[in-house]
Amino acid sequence: MLHLLMIISDVLIGIGAFFALIGVLGILFMPDVFSRMQASTCVTTLGIIGVCLGALLHAIFIVGSPSSAVKIALIGLLVLVTNPVGSHALARGAYRAGIRPEQPMEIDELGRDSQ
Amino acid sequence: MRKTKFPAVIATFIVCFAFWLLLTWTVDVQNLIAGTVVSLLAALFSARFFIHESAFWLANPLKFFVGLFYWVCVFPLDLIKSNLRMAALVLGGCKDVKPGIVKVPVSLKSEYGQTALANSITLTPGTITMDVAEQDGQTYFYVHCIEADRPGAEAGESIKGRMEKWIGRIWK
Repeated sequence: MLHLLMIISDVLIGIGAFFALIGVLGILFMPDVFSRMQASTCVTTLGIIGVCLGALLHAIFIVGSPSSAVKIALIGLLVLVTNPVGSHALARGAYRAGIRPEQPMEIDELGRDSQ
Repeated sequence: MRKTKFPAVIATFIVCFAFWLLLTWTVDVQNLIAGTVVSLLAALFSARFFIHESAFWLANPLKFFVGLFYWVCVFPLDLIKSNLRMAALVLGGCKDVKPGIVKVPVSLKSEYGQTALANSITLTPGTITMDVAEQDGQTYFYVHCIEADRPGAEAGESIKGRMEKWIGRIWK
């Protein structure tokens, strides 16, 4: 039973690490600022959820310490709540500062309406 | 500047104190008194930034369980789906990206509902809420979308998906 839980927790941490890797690759290879921010959202959603769930299982069943389990759950929750505010502010700030992609966007209704 | 309201202070105090208890994870008297003082001060100074409408919506059990079901069962499925889509895009060499900014009409009226919808859209990989505008009483979100090759209304539906309906059940 304990072995099974350890395997599940390791698999969850592996899934989290995989999506973090996807996010980093996206940041490196995407063509412009806004698309890079889109890719970085992978890290803060499934990356964080996977790693936190794995660590949570580990803390509850293998280490057996409720206080670290609660802290891990709060870390995951706070990242999920605060991340969208930050990326919204960054994207809006970049657009207002006049940063545009090199290739023109498919549709730019914000640019059209703010003229 | 908005005024500080009493129910807003109470609600913020409860949230701060719960976080204090969970993070310290001890119940001796000294700790409890320090937590009460600190969270009361924090609530007094910051309540007016957080809560402008009804402060105790969580006390309605129906809304609480609808919200819990949405954020534990429905939203993670959408999240996993769009994460896999983003993984396919990135591993395919980022060739299929067609970035663009789409204007999406939003039918939610309350501040809570609009904030929750904007945050859910931003949290989904592939879409970021960039700006909010109001024209003739209708609220619009400007959403940066990584696959913006479809015309307006259809793209809006695919961005909002089920989120708007579910959030509308909690906050109108």
